[in-house]
Amino acid sequence: MKKVLQILFALSIVFPIGFLVVLSLGRNWPYPVVLPKSLSLENWSFLQQSDSELWQTFLLSLLISIIVATATTALAFVTSKQLAQSKYRNKLMLLAYIPYVLSPVILAATLQYYFIYASLSGSVAGVLLAQVFIAYPFAVIILNNFWNHKIKSMEELSRTLGSSSWQTFKKVLIPVSKNALLLCFFQTFLISWFEFGLTNLIGVGSVQTLTVKVFSYVNEANIFYAALASCLLIVPPMILIWLNKKYIFATETVI
Amino acid sequence: MKKIIILITILALAACKSDSKNEQLDLKNASWQQIETEALGKTVNMMMWAGDPKINDYMKNYVAPAVKEKYDIDLEISSGQGNTIVQLLMTEMQAGKDGNVDMMWINGETFYQLRQINGLHGPFVDQLPNSQFVDLDNPFIGKDFQEPIEGMEAPWGNVQMTLIYDSEKTDQLPQSREELLAFAKANPNKFTFDNQFTGLTFMKALLIDIAGGEQALAGDFNEKKYGKYSKALWAYLRELKPYLWKKGETFPEDVAQMHQLFASGELLMTMSNNDAEVDNKINEGLFPESARAYVPEFGTIQNSHYLGIAKNAVDKAAAMAVINFMISPEAQLKKQNPEVWGDGTVLDLDKLPGDFKTKFQNIPARKYAPKRSEIQKNALQELAPEYMIRLAEDFRKEIING
Amino acid sequence: MIKKLSIAIFILIAAVPVLLGLGYALMYSLGLTGILSEGFTTTHWEETLITTTFWKSLGFSLYIALVVMLISLFFSLWIVISWIKQLNKGSLSYITYLPLAFPAIVMAFFSFQLLSKSGFMSRVVYKMGWIDSLEQFPDWTNDEFGISIIFSLCLLITPFFIILYSNLYQNERIAELKALAITLGAKPSQVIFKVIVPILLKKSAFTIMLFVIFIMGTYEIPLLLGRQNPSMLSVFIVQKLQKFNLADIPQAYAIAVIYILLIASIIALVYKTRPTFFNSSSSS
Repeated sequence: MKKVLQILFALSIVFPIGFLVVLSLGRNWPYPVVLPKSLSLENWSFLQQSDSELWQTFLLSLLISIIVATATTALAFVTSKQLAQSKYRNKLMLLAYIPYVLSPVILAATLQYYFIYASLSGSVAGVLLAQVFIAYPFAVIILNNFWNHKIKSMEELSRTLGSSSWQTFKKVLIPVSKNALLLCFFQTFLISWFEFGLTNLIGVGSVQTLTVKVFSYVNEANIFYAALASCLLIVPPMILIWLNKKYIFATETVI
Repeated sequence: MKKIIILITILALAACKSDSKNEQLDLKNASWQQIETEALGKTVNMMMWAGDPKINDYMKNYVAPAVKEKYDIDLEISSGQGNTIVQLLMTEMQAGKDGNVDMMWINGETFYQLRQINGLHGPFVDQLPNSQFVDLDNPFIGKDFQEPIEGMEAPWGNVQMTLIYDSEKTDQLPQSREELLAFAKANPNKFTFDNQFTGLTFMKALLIDIAGGEQALAGDFNEKKYGKYSKALWAYLRELKPYLWKKGETFPEDVAQMHQLFASGELLMTMSNNDAEVDNKINEGLFPESARAYVPEFGTIQNSHYLGIAKNAVDKAAAMAVINFMISPEAQLKKQNPEVWGDGTVLDLDKLPGDFKTKFQNIPARKYAPKRSEIQKNALQELAPEYMIRLAEDFRKEIING
Repeated sequence: MIKKLSIAIFILIAAVPVLLGLGYALMYSLGLTGILSEGFTTTHWEETLITTTFWKSLGFSLYIALVVMLISLFFSLWIVISWIKQLNKGSLSYITYLPLAFPAIVMAFFSFQLLSKSGFMSRVVYKMGWIDSLEQFPDWTNDEFGISIIFSLCLLITPFFIILYSNLYQNERIAELKALAITLGAKPSQVIFKVIVPILLKKSAFTIMLFVIFIMGTYEIPLLLGRQNPSMLSVFIVQKLQKFNLADIPQAYAIAVIYILLIASIIALVYKTRPTFFNSSSSS
């Protein structure tokens, strides 16, 4: 019984992926046919052309997410250490939780004027900045818990043994925090990679990331391309999650 | 720290980037040749309704490459219509900044709102060489929602709304309001209209019918008439509501969704602002071959869609060059082909140079949509823009939230 | 020096944008800015507060958030308590992570293709002869109870909690407590309901609350699967901003102000009552 339930559970997770893959291969799906009448690699084949739009979209999304994840992780690593040692630590964390739960699209709606004023709307730079606004508090919250007494005493030990603060940083702090940093990178990457509402508003529809593309395909009722773009959207996170699971302690997970 | 500096530098650079592009040319007095020269190598951002794959395909794979070749212009298309455009432009003007959008596809109510906030560049249409071919004397083209266009927007296409049905499932076509109600009652959950432009255009036809036909609401907006006839319209729609799709508690967000519902058989009818739509959706394989389009006897609205240039556009000259191409005989010819889009031309065929007239007449006929000449007799003119704005608002209050 | 700079950067990125946005929204809603504004007025606020659509939208968002949370908690607790061993090792431990790769927009698209009247489920049921036409298939998308919205959100959120609870299970040494309780003569059901569930819920209380707020603001899923009335908060605000009457824009900002203040006060309240939530390594 338990086994059967577990298989069902596993199936329910694998099913959406399979379903989207089948739809992405499909053409012609009239009711009540269960699966699309023709299945072929035709929808996918245009990805091979290096100048195809979807391929460019994919690369643009990847670039944006890597920049956002790298910048926020680096920035949060340096700043969260200071925050954690501050006597206002709790109060500061309180501030981080507001943008953390705030709906990104609402934040974007209230900030649209400023982005236009700064000539940042409709540009990749604007989208990057807006995504940093939502990813950074997340990164600080993830890393905040990492700066505990254990780390502090290691740092002090290193200083006592005569290393400079830069040496301590490079030789002690970075190595011990490798996992936390990777986790933080993954999380912020995913926030950026998954973001739609904020990107669409600040990007004014002209910064076409994959999520924006999925939405526009759905909008024109082009389900097969929407499925194809969806597949492209879930592949990189799957690789990341697999790496995360395999190489990072299972205990250090989201939230 | 280094990362921060890099980030800040990138952002600062990005912020300065667009400020350097200042308009040099006195556009209003410039010759077309000067405008064309100015247009070379620019990027034009166009905002448009992007809910139809055929239209998107025409823009991305025909217009964009053509202007790239002709003027080395990069045409970038983003999705947005109506109030989205107006709201964006309002915020930009408030910030006193250059626009993110150079040109946009607009219809009457947006035209009206953009003129109210003084958001349009123009008049510019007369400067376009191809405007000489446009059939401006046709009231369905030269007037947008009863308003003379005065060169502030260029006509782009002309269409009439049709209802689309499956001839294998429906043979008794509702021709009047009463028959439509009876049809919905006989087929509950199988009829609806969308929550946007198409649905509102349909409601306008109903409103004109209620008011007593073609000329009843012509001219400027009349509050008294609106109050009287819209009340009757809401009463009618409330009677219809329980028999609509999802009991009229929600409406398809967009016409594309309605087409999808029709294709899967969830709806018996869909509708389109483009009279040739049924052909291009059958070609696409979305609609069954038994799909047909018709215009009920109470009539449907015929209107044109237009292209406007934002007042704060960065590259107005380039936008003009693009628009000039879009109203050229070749681009209009391509667009009218039902295999491509099937959008009616705004050009006066008798004015066209060379053998373009023959070419237009030889466009493969649409197979499933009624002939343009047949439905013309039931064509209603657009109403003043306030009617649509009020209908949209009151529809939400009276029907959706009611 | 570095410390001050760090705090400054933190405030600049995390707090200033929210404050700026709040300020702009407040100004706009009071008629103090915007091209169509005619000077200070409270009418937009009055209109916002008296219209039922806003309250309905708020209530609907809360309803969705609570239902999703209840279902997700039920399934995640149940799965973790009964399959804890398999979740830590083997293929199940990998599979559990896969749903995290789904962005909301893809989940919404998937749910629509699965649950709509002409979706996959309807086709399967038709093939099995349970229905004769697609009208007989129940209304699960754009429906009044938000069934497909709840479905999609549960699919997205349950895995988070499964992972959270299986980690807590180990960190809090629940297996040992369980053994102890059994030695002391507790029945298996008592162990679950008196020991395991309370510990897990208590440890995750803050996370649960964050998720409730988070779900209330969700955008893509109700955008694709919801209906026009009532719509969830984010959709409601964006539509008032971009789709409705231009004169409604100040109302959109008034609602945004209410929403942001609501979140801030909930978080501040938690801070006042349970400051440890903000400073514990135990929230894993």
